[in-house]
Amino acid sequence: MKKFINNPDDLTQELLEGYAIAHSAKIKVHSDKLVIRAKPKSEDKVAIITMGGAGHEPALSGFVGSGMLDVCVVGDIFAAPGPPKVLEALSLMKRDAGIFFNVLNHAGDVMSAQMAMEMANQQNINYKMYLSAEDIASGPDTPRADRRGLVGSIPLWKIIGAAAEAGQSLDEVYAIGEKFGNNMATLAVAMNSATHPATGNELFTLADDEMEIGMGQHGESGVGPTKLLSADDTARTMIERLVKAIDAQKGDRIMVMLNGAGATTLMELFIVLRGVKKVLDEKGITIVVAECGEYLTVQEMAGFQMFAAKMDDELLSLWHAPCDTPYMTVR
Amino acid sequence: MLIAGQNKVAAQHELLSELDGKIGDGDHGTTMLRTTKVIVESIEKNNDKPIKAILATLGWDIMSADGGSVGPLVGSMFLGFSEAMDDQEVLDAPLFIKMVCAGIEKMHKLSKAEIGDKTMMDALLPIKASLEASGKLTCLVALTAVVVKAAQSGSDATVDMLAKYGRARNLGDKVIGHKDPGSVTIVLMFTGFAESIESI
Repeated sequence: MKKFINNPDDLTQELLEGYAIAHSAKIKVHSDKLVIRAKPKSEDKVAIITMGGAGHEPALSGFVGSGMLDVCVVGDIFAAPGPPKVLEALSLMKRDAGIFFNVLNHAGDVMSAQMAMEMANQQNINYKMYLSAEDIASGPDTPRADRRGLVGSIPLWKIIGAAAEAGQSLDEVYAIGEKFGNNMATLAVAMNSATHPATGNELFTLADDEMEIGMGQHGESGVGPTKLLSADDTARTMIERLVKAIDAQKGDRIMVMLNGAGATTLMELFIVLRGVKKVLDEKGITIVVAECGEYLTVQEMAGFQMFAAKMDDELLSLWHAPCDTPYMTVR
Repeated sequence: MLIAGQNKVAAQHELLSELDGKIGDGDHGTTMLRTTKVIVESIEKNNDKPIKAILATLGWDIMSADGGSVGPLVGSMFLGFSEAMDDQEVLDAPLFIKMVCAGIEKMHKLSKAEIGDKTMMDALLPIKASLEASGKLTCLVALTAVVVKAAQSGSDATVDMLAKYGRARNLGDKVIGHKDPGSVTIVLMFTGFAESIESI
């Protein structure tokens, strides 16, 4: 796969420099690997920190800014950042108001966070860690510890970010985060593989007439390849599983997000979304928020993550609160 | 300088030349190359400090190499080496046993992998077991030979295992017939230690 890169060893460094140029009004890069707000939030508010590998642009660091993240610790392509940088972020945002620290459930990130938190405890940093683990690919009986954290973190940051801006306490922000985070689910589908930008290796292989539901965001396998389905059938298969996973009932309000993996067109996402709404209409479930776009990509992978979350008045109000980040803005 | 510190540096120099050729899977080779560079630089930079401090800094520096899972795992092993030490500056058999067991235990806490899961622990846990069973051995050279043997047989056994952790986990049976690269790294690392100890 041909890509516009220089030396593969310098990928992350260079992409961050370019990103900082493109969005200098809202973010800056601190200490090489920390993306922080250009205008920091006031000290008396809860800070929101996350961490994760690069290569998923605009995620994760595209959502640093007012109303969402305060700091994103950036690792190498698809690789978790190391404990020292994570600790640095926690130290940087140390405050009495506390820190909401979101870790997306992937082995490397969890281990790195664990080591950083050990040190943070020694430094008496006030934080609460929320592990997002909303991937339902492995089935309903999968223990939470084995479920990956996917695109769900992004709406999570929007919601708890708003709560933090409003001056809510760490306990209150965490409770809201749990309410949303424990009632959301993501299921991915892959059509074509991406290549790792540094090695050029394909992340996985699919035949021309195959798709795979449940693929992870680094190419980790899902439930196995199946024959291609139509957009409507794909939509139905996936939304039915998601509705079951979040236990959405007739009369409920939900958020639906279709997150393109990089090579899937907006055209396709719109067609799938239409198919999703048909099914939800049948079930009497209302879509109160619909988002279609690229939030957390996997290079040039063809496919998408379908996300659903239960909404209530509080969550909806937080969703509609203003935010100003490079890749999500609400006025 | 300090015998133990030099042992480690020599070990990493061994690794650097061997890894490139031997471990070419995906990004493990490049990750370990970066890690060993970090190790050598860190030791050279801190060469005048007490070994306990060198190892602690080393553990932390390895974690800074941002190598996904490898950083925290291997880094915590070196931190474990450091935590087991007082102010000894000379490596002897009892210290070797104490340090290495502590390092492996610390990594194990983070890793949670057991023998049979096709990871670095398949080489490391046998090392720990062989050290714990080695009570009578006071000769460092003999100890390291025992350790390398244990690591080698542990790593060899990974050939037909299914992977329980890491990205390999998702490859199903495709991993059968291939040794776990992490376990091979461990064998190389401890072989390096052994060779540098023997050469003194």
